[in-house]
Amino acid sequence: MVGFSLALAAVAAALAMAAGAALPMRARVLWVGVLTALSAAAGGAAAVAVLAGSGTFTANYPNLFPLGGVRLEFDALSAIFVLATAVVAVPASIYGIGYSAHGPASRPVQIAFPLLVWSVMMVPAAGNVTGLIAFWELMALSSLVVVLAEHHHNTEARTAAQWYAAMTHLSLLAIVLALIVLARQAGGDSFADIRLGVHQVGPISAGVVFLLTLVGFGAKAGVVPFHVWLPRAHPEAPSHASALMSGAMVKLGVYGLVRVGWDLLGGGPVWWGAVVVVVGLVSAMFGILHALIASDLKRLLAYSTTENIGLIFIGVGAAGMFASSGNRTLAAVALAAAMLHVVNHAAFKGLLFLGAGSILSATGTRDLDRLGGLARRMPVTAATFAVGSLAIAALPPLNGFVSEWLLLQSLVHSLPSSAAVVAVAMPVAVAVVALTGGLAAATFVKAFGTAFLAMPRTAEADQAHESPRTMQIGLVALSGVCIALALAPTVFAAPLQRVALAVGGLADGRPIHTNGVYLQLSGIQAGLSPLLLAVGLMVMIVAALAVVRRGRVRRTIRDIPAWGCGRTVQTARMEYTATSFAEPLQRVFDDVLHPEIDIDVDHRTESRHYVQAIRYRMHIRDGFEHRLYLPLLAAVRRWGDRARAVQNGSIHRYLAYSLVTLIVVLVVSR
Amino acid sequence: MNDTAFVQLLDIAAGLVLVTSFAALWLRRLVAVARVIAVQGVALAAVAFVIGLYEHENELVAVSLMVGALRGVVLPGLILRAVRAGDERREVESLINVPAALLAASGLTLIAYAATRDVVALSSTPQVRALPLGVAVMLIGMLLIVTRRKAVLQIMGVLMLDNGIALVMFLGTSGVPLAVELGIASDVLLAMFILQVLTSRIRNKFGGTDLDQLRELRD
Repeated sequence: MVGFSLALAAVAAALAMAAGAALPMRARVLWVGVLTALSAAAGGAAAVAVLAGSGTFTANYPNLFPLGGVRLEFDALSAIFVLATAVVAVPASIYGIGYSAHGPASRPVQIAFPLLVWSVMMVPAAGNVTGLIAFWELMALSSLVVVLAEHHHNTEARTAAQWYAAMTHLSLLAIVLALIVLARQAGGDSFADIRLGVHQVGPISAGVVFLLTLVGFGAKAGVVPFHVWLPRAHPEAPSHASALMSGAMVKLGVYGLVRVGWDLLGGGPVWWGAVVVVVGLVSAMFGILHALIASDLKRLLAYSTTENIGLIFIGVGAAGMFASSGNRTLAAVALAAAMLHVVNHAAFKGLLFLGAGSILSATGTRDLDRLGGLARRMPVTAATFAVGSLAIAALPPLNGFVSEWLLLQSLVHSLPSSAAVVAVAMPVAVAVVALTGGLAAATFVKAFGTAFLAMPRTAEADQAHESPRTMQIGLVALSGVCIALALAPTVFAAPLQRVALAVGGLADGRPIHTNGVYLQLSGIQAGLSPLLLAVGLMVMIVAALAVVRRGRVRRTIRDIPAWGCGRTVQTARMEYTATSFAEPLQRVFDDVLHPEIDIDVDHRTESRHYVQAIRYRMHIRDGFEHRLYLPLLAAVRRWGDRARAVQNGSIHRYLAYSLVTLIVVLVVSR
Repeated sequence: MNDTAFVQLLDIAAGLVLVTSFAALWLRRLVAVARVIAVQGVALAAVAFVIGLYEHENELVAVSLMVGALRGVVLPGLILRAVRAGDERREVESLINVPAALLAASGLTLIAYAATRDVVALSSTPQVRALPLGVAVMLIGMLLIVTRRKAVLQIMGVLMLDNGIALVMFLGTSGVPLAVELGIASDVLLAMFILQVLTSRIRNKFGGTDLDQLRELRD
């Protein structure tokens, strides 16, 4: 069953690529979308089968490459990531049919997208070092093509692709180094051999391998300080591809960290987990702060991805810390929270990126300050974006709430802990998770409010129209997934146990008990019933509406302009913009963000007491990019300029190089 | 031919190859340098001829006659034509002056001896003892290429480099098959033709063959 599904996924992806290469434009877009969705659905079916308990699927292709074969090992940990991919890839592919029709329909993009979907599903399925690296690189290259989709009329896309290419190769370099060292010392290429031989790896090598793993997979996951490519590449890719990259591809960073750090290496000292938690905390705070003040919608979503990956890292790192300090039951809960958040984030971030794509194709802009009033013009997009916003803000009764609640529970209940590091780190983590939750709510109030409510701020926003049917299907399907995940997370109880058991070095036992309605955490006196919670909320909302309606009947209603301040008309210029909404919070975090603000005031020529125009410009530089990457790039450039002296165009000098080389070789090799 | 005569003839011929390379660095007139290269080719052919006679290898004797004709007459003749085609009869410009070049050449000869010490220690035949001379001629040929500005002298340097390689080949292997030698010879002939055409093109285009002026061509 699993093998058949995986084969079907491969065949469908190959057919989709062939369709992308061969068919004319209209048919191409349609067939690529359908076949890619089929491929992702087949992968999802395999994942569901494994999560439902059909056991680990393995396959071996020893002669696939000249120097090493590919082994597949599809266990529960792989499955949960493949499931997250399928959750976002199926709707995104269908959405892509409508989205690409007037946009990225070129052959390279239509070939690269199915390849990207397939390789994202195959990376977790790889069961040896060669296979992992091969699929990883396939994924990196196909996603790079997708980022470059609109390079013809968009120079930003080229810069974004350069940053992305550099970071993804840094990532690959670190991963290859780590895995080669690990495979060499453990004496085997397949994961099974590495698990058997891992006791031969000394503690120092293990630490080095772990840190390289963290750098390599962290760069792909987009955690601070490797996040710089994310807010560049995600906005430039076509929206259904950004949904896939942000919802699924960056998660593979988490997968790699868990797989290598806690499965293959079998866990390590407490500092491993502590480092991951710290990286997660910094990423969560940094990501949400930049998302809060961003006014480019897709950039906002990209920064929010850094935040959510940060939360997942906190969960994974906390699980590592708990396991290392002996509390493996709590570790299972933290891991379960992180994995559930992986799936949830795939659903709601995918949904939000698709929504952003609908806005972009309807209005031609991603700038929140130029939108407004879209709720009436694009009702389906507005409703689904609202679902996504509620979910990502971790508000009940949606799915983001469940996983963040689980995460907070596991962090809070670690307090009676023996290890000092754990006792210090966890309260900080709780505070940060709580703060990011609040800021995320503010961010998405801003995003939803300025885009969809109030009056349109520009003519483009005024003339917006609802997207084509296929795009609506994608949006509605993903909001359905969000709601289903919110109401029935209990179905994940048994699968999450299998995931926890698959990670040998981290957890044992069952993280979550359930009776179908009620979630009960093991080892913690805490429980939750999302279904009852949702029903309760619904009852209260209906009751409130009824009361309001009743009240309305009694009173006479007068229509007067609110906050008119003596004026009789209100214009869009009087509305809050995204920038002004975030301004108070930006002041609060002034010391962290260091915004550059210019205010130009023009006076009328007749009198200085009358102001003609005020221009307000705010620019926020990414601190890491500004302080870390740009100096690094400048240094590289300086060295490059210095090295140009070696090649000055003089033929005599080039000839002298070969003479000197010959002499040196003669003398040295004698 | 007895052993003593063989050793003396071989040493004279091989020594002449090295001495001519020093002379090529020392002389200033282009025509004179080309003639010295011709002498070097003849001396090289003499080395092969002596070895062929001593070891009674008729094939090597035939090869030596061919080498003499090619490197002693044909290739220097081509170079002389190139020199006469241009009006730059005097090689005035070198990147380093003559004493420095001779000093550098002596240093390269020492390096050649030092580098081939282990090879020489393998065998005590007079051919192998003369092997460092070939390596030295190779290095001096490269020195000629590196330090001279005129493209014609670069061609002569290439020819000298190839003479050095051929000398090592004759001394180290005591004769290669005729087919191999033919292949090498035609390669060298071809390279010379191409270089000559290239040089005349450079001259037509830029009015001279000073390679330093080509520096402007980069990026």
